[in-house]
Amino acid sequence: MNNQSVALSLRNITKSFDGKPALNSASFSVNWGEVHALLGENGAGKSTIMNVAAGIYYPDAGELHVNGEKQIIHSPAEATRLGIGMVHQHFRLVKRFTVGQNILLCCGKQLGISTQRQATDAIESKAQEIGFDVRTDAVVGELSIAEQQRVEIIKVLLLGAKVVVLDEPTAVLTDQESRAVLEFAGRLAKIGHAVILITHKLREVTSYSNRVTVMRRGSTVLSGADTSTLDANKLARYMVGELMGRVQTVKKSSGAICLKVSNLSVSDIGGGIGVKNVSLSVNHGEILGIVGVGGNGQQQLADALTGLAPCSNGQIHLQGEDITFAPVTSRRLMGMRAVPSDRFASGLIAGMTVSENLSMTSIATGRFGNWLFLNRDSMNQEAELAINQHNILGASPTRPVKLLSGGNAQKLLLARELTEDASVLIVHSPTRGLDVKACHFIHSLIKSSVEAGVACLLISEDLEEVLTLSSRIAVMSRGTIVGEFPASEATSEKLGMLMMGHA
Amino acid sequence: MLEFFRNCTLIRRQDVSWQLSVQSFAGGLALGFTLAVTILLISGVSLSSIVSEFVVHVFADSAGLAQATIRAIPLVLVGLGAAAAIKLQFWNIGIEGQVWAGAIAATAIAFYDIGPDSTRLFIMLLAAFAGGAAWIALPVLLKIRYGVNEIIMTLLLTYVVFQIVEHLLFGAWQDPSASFPVSPRYEEFERLTRIGWETVHAGIWISLACVALMWLLMERSRFGYYATAVGENFLAAKATGIPVISTVVISVLLSGGLAGLAGGVIATGTEYRLTQFLGIGYTFSGIVIAFIARFRPVYVLVVAFVLGGIYSAGDTLKVFYSLSEAIVVLIEGTILLSVLSMEFFTRYRVRFGKAQAA
Repeated sequence: MNNQSVALSLRNITKSFDGKPALNSASFSVNWGEVHALLGENGAGKSTIMNVAAGIYYPDAGELHVNGEKQIIHSPAEATRLGIGMVHQHFRLVKRFTVGQNILLCCGKQLGISTQRQATDAIESKAQEIGFDVRTDAVVGELSIAEQQRVEIIKVLLLGAKVVVLDEPTAVLTDQESRAVLEFAGRLAKIGHAVILITHKLREVTSYSNRVTVMRRGSTVLSGADTSTLDANKLARYMVGELMGRVQTVKKSSGAICLKVSNLSVSDIGGGIGVKNVSLSVNHGEILGIVGVGGNGQQQLADALTGLAPCSNGQIHLQGEDITFAPVTSRRLMGMRAVPSDRFASGLIAGMTVSENLSMTSIATGRFGNWLFLNRDSMNQEAELAINQHNILGASPTRPVKLLSGGNAQKLLLARELTEDASVLIVHSPTRGLDVKACHFIHSLIKSSVEAGVACLLISEDLEEVLTLSSRIAVMSRGTIVGEFPASEATSEKLGMLMMGHA
Repeated sequence: MLEFFRNCTLIRRQDVSWQLSVQSFAGGLALGFTLAVTILLISGVSLSSIVSEFVVHVFADSAGLAQATIRAIPLVLVGLGAAAAIKLQFWNIGIEGQVWAGAIAATAIAFYDIGPDSTRLFIMLLAAFAGGAAWIALPVLLKIRYGVNEIIMTLLLTYVVFQIVEHLLFGAWQDPSASFPVSPRYEEFERLTRIGWETVHAGIWISLACVALMWLLMERSRFGYYATAVGENFLAAKATGIPVISTVVISVLLSGGLAGLAGGVIATGTEYRLTQFLGIGYTFSGIVIAFIARFRPVYVLVVAFVLGGIYSAGDTLKVFYSLSEAIVVLIEGTILLSVLSMEFFTRYRVRFGKAQAA
């Protein structure tokens, strides 16, 4: 494979779903031996155009060339035959199977193998070749996300992929793990593969990619530019189309203590890490950021604070009152507001309307009508106001929430939670999966309510988010707080070490 | 054929209008009836007799419509009952059991002469409702307290209550003047009165009232909002402070109660006694109605009447053309399956012909 020749090119691809355009004459081209970043906001069409290349979607119009030859790809199997492999954001693995069984299941026919021993051998030789460490007899469901991702990568390579698409590979990884997978992408390119890195993180483009293509609203706005000629600001401008100011850190306040947690322990029913002996306090008008690698007790802590999980030990005080065993509704009446990590799992109800979702918490505490009937007119009126005030695009009071984009759904959730009578706000990963513009908007919403006196506990895996917003930062690892300091003393190295348990 | 499937693309619809729902329901019925007629022709019934006697008799003359209505009365109630539980993801597969429990409770009131004659019928129907609710109380409590699977519990309890029916009919409650295992006939004042149209009884008013009440409760009230939220997303409902447990318990008890009431209405409206057959088949009917009606009370009314018509047409076929039970069930199943299949088109748009890459 000679360098600089085109491996895969998609030309003027158009694709719409049920009349809604997702790709509008978008083009993309990657060379052999390079890491090519595909950058764009959520919903820009990055995954869609790559799904076209991988045979998952069939385009309405446009051409696809592999190694200079025009091809028509009807199915993922045909894409595999042409050497195109995609590592999806949500892994395609059978969780109850071992690594070997998974590989046997999807590559057995292509590799001509039929026993687990052969699968083990195939995996180990491939793993050695690319410098991975994989336990072939481990059950996939018990592996960490990073390990599962490695299995996916090996799967794609065993299937003979020469063009490898990595769909937001670092979205759910820690910093260290991210670095490892990004460096791996570079190695893969060095041995001649074409690697496409779908991302919306600027740093990954500038530090780990040779060239970059930027997409915006279904079209290509920057095509195959050399990353050495671009800086992060320029890229951000291409990506979002306008420059944004950075949200300023909320200064440490002298407000009174609002939320106080003493020696709190929560046991996890699922057998995971619970919360062990956590003490913290949040003042009015400040943000306490809690960082940590996902799955270190953050979910259980948030659940205990919001009244969804029982505490096994310790107390929670809200504005001086003991709420350790208080039900959800009385916590809410005292001004506790929550933004859960998975907005469609435990925040919003996708099948219900915008107005029903906006009034949900108020209805639960008895507002909107009497004990028997609901006053839907006043619900709709208030919803109309909230939609306009928060600029929730695509929303009308009677439209189902499932039709909103992720960013607008999150705006809706915040519009519901950030009411004037809020006293403490528990936010968990508020910008997960959102694009730069939506992140910015969400951050400024949180910030302005904190400036109005709300105490905010921000639980996040996104270091940059916590560093940007918090007045104080606490690090959570294995269910306990392993360190707490003012934001000014925090560096990403210090935080990273604490998170990884090296302190 | 393979080429045909390769060439059509399914596109998920973003939103479903009510017009489309009506179209798909009507289209499904049309398809089902066409297939049903084909089956009848194959089984030797001539086209002219299908049209003149069967169609005209069942759907265009007073006696036929009345028969369909009588069939529909309990179907409305079990449909409402099934919808009330399944809407909240509580799979009540024991509707038949609750129908039996309601019929037993009503008959017990009559058998032991409880209450004055003037209010006896009212007490019987109340007891029927309570009996049905009682029969589902154990599954819902065990499900909430210990997470026991309600599908198995409600299903198996149906067999338990049927054994109780057999025990009573072959023992203490058997009518001494009859050689069959049936309870003594109810007194005149223990029966639902005829409304003056053929043999249609006052159960029709009970069914219509229940539709209206369930519509108010499920689509207009605060409780209905809770029920929708819990059914759509249990976790989010809990997190926003909606009283999940009491909402589930009330809905499920209502579900059992409505099924029990259906048992009471069948006993007091058409059978006038407890028999071995009055509850059979209602689980299937109730769940089908609830699903086609998308758990909405007003749609339940419509679907239950259509199903009542189909069932009463089946009765006619059995009697006049001596078709086997199997053919009748086949026809009913074909029509229902057609309606359910056409639902598919409310969820997906189908496009033929692939856009060829230029």
